[in-house]
Amino acid sequence: MNRLDAIRGTTPGQDHNARSIAALAANPACDRRAVLDAAAIDKPRLMRRLRFDDRWGQSPFAIQRNQQFTDLVKANGAAHLLRLLRTLLDLPIEEAGYVNLEDAGGNEGHVARHGHTRRIIRQTAEGRGRATILDRPLLRLDVAGAQVYLEPDVIAFQLGGRFHIVAIKSFAIVDDQADTPKVSAAAREAAVYVHALRDLVGRDLVSHDVILVCPRDFTNEPTATTVDVRHQLVTLARQLSRLTRIDTILDRLPAGLSLDVDALPAAQIEAAVAAIPARYAPQCLSACELSHLCRREAHDLGHLDALGRIVRDDLGGIESVQTALRVATPGEPVADDQAEIAERLRHVARLYDEAVA
Amino acid sequence: MGKLRKAIRQATTAGRHAEARALRARLREAERQWDAEVEQPATQPPLVPVREQVHRALTLLGAPTAAKMIVAVDESFFGGQMANTQLTSLRRDEEKSYRSAPGARPYYLCAALTSELLSPARGLLALSTWGLPQRIIGPLSPRTDFLTSAVRLAEHLMRLDDASPGAFRLLGQLAQNIPGAGDGFGPADPAKVIAAAGAELAVHQERDQMDRREAAARAADRLGPVERLFGSGVKTVRSA
Repeated sequence: MNRLDAIRGTTPGQDHNARSIAALAANPACDRRAVLDAAAIDKPRLMRRLRFDDRWGQSPFAIQRNQQFTDLVKANGAAHLLRLLRTLLDLPIEEAGYVNLEDAGGNEGHVARHGHTRRIIRQTAEGRGRATILDRPLLRLDVAGAQVYLEPDVIAFQLGGRFHIVAIKSFAIVDDQADTPKVSAAAREAAVYVHALRDLVGRDLVSHDVILVCPRDFTNEPTATTVDVRHQLVTLARQLSRLTRIDTILDRLPAGLSLDVDALPAAQIEAAVAAIPARYAPQCLSACELSHLCRREAHDLGHLDALGRIVRDDLGGIESVQTALRVATPGEPVADDQAEIAERLRHVARLYDEAVA
Repeated sequence: MGKLRKAIRQATTAGRHAEARALRARLREAERQWDAEVEQPATQPPLVPVREQVHRALTLLGAPTAAKMIVAVDESFFGGQMANTQLTSLRRDEEKSYRSAPGARPYYLCAALTSELLSPARGLLALSTWGLPQRIIGPLSPRTDFLTSAVRLAEHLMRLDDASPGAFRLLGQLAQNIPGAGDGFGPADPAKVIAAAGAELAVHQERDQMDRREAAARAADRLGPVERLFGSGVKTVRSA
């Protein structure tokens, strides 16, 4: 049993998905998120245990709607998808193979499914298979020293051509226009899959154009477009490489630290979470389950992080609100490296006082 | 009832309480009768059991099919009213029945087998009376099965004199994904669907049949009678 398993304890782990990796990559300096993700800790469960509101993440209705639309696109041997790929990629009629990788001979374990996926993808890449549409493959990605399994909706393969990641999303494309934040979130997620697939078969074989399948206009009929994710790929690769190696973080943690959600009392878990340093930013609220806990902590300790990244960067070198206030007060002794900031703060304080007076 | 209510109002305002009480009793009686007449007769349980309904739909489709499609075909071609949920445990029940008394039923609803590992293909139902190659799912089989089913539904529609609009709508939905079979608007033309699906089928059929025959030979060689119907792998129930 390694250190990460020891931290998780007997509680069953939680799987990663592209969404969580995108969130992890969004805040690479946060040790807390890195450790919890690497140890595969069930974060919603942890938050429930610490009596925080667990209403976080996608609404069940959104998830259900997405599932229904995905089922529609994949029905009858992915007939809809095949039609869309034929127009989009000029896929010849002969290429119509469909392989479901949801289980490997009845075995639904990750290792078996990943092995099966890898074998089929290799065969396909070498031109020995007949698969054009690979349904629910299981890829693996190395994130900060931890192995993460990822499940894209579909991988499409064109003979003599390249692999394409297909993302099936349930937001509508109306008049060839879709909601920009939703498209970019889908692109970020798809970029994680492209990255993982490139790890497996090599850079050149995986297209950077992702195929996005969405309902058209106000109907339930699927339509497809390509989305270029080169930009997202570059960002993701940089973030992943910047992620602090998990071993060095673990070395800094107190020995015997455990986050066994089911076994330990809540107070002990809370202390253990507090022992792992976090890097809170208001952006976390839309990406991380633990954000409410980190926000409360940042508020309680008067961390500048709670005021946003811009304020934190502007006041580089000052950690807390109290320090900032003290430095801003004329006549208080100031350390040499804070002199410049102190001058600016005092100037702002003077302006503020004049305006208020 | 309106008249009775009026009479009750008049009696109450005039202070004739005994009369009002009697009128109220008559009103309640009238309401009960009205309720009984308006009430719909309780929905009859289907005359055909679910497994018969599935058998009927599968015989028409002629290929291993997912539960959702079976329900849709049953509804639009046979007027059946199955729910998706009724089909979820069907395969397992059939397997139990087969294990306890092999061959006691004229047919069993069984699994389709994946060509690679001969494991049960997810979500598909098949008939035990079909030959083994027909129940094998190779890479091209989902497509050929889809096309075969579309052709068979279209042929059936041409035989019927009074097909339901639902049946045409279902065929239209299938035709939408077959190149050259229809534009997706209005009812589908069965003859056009047959021609278009036949044309695409001709492209895939030879390679698909080769895969299927090869896997079927392997299955006949390696699998016992139960596995041949319900697939090999960890998911088959041991004589439960």
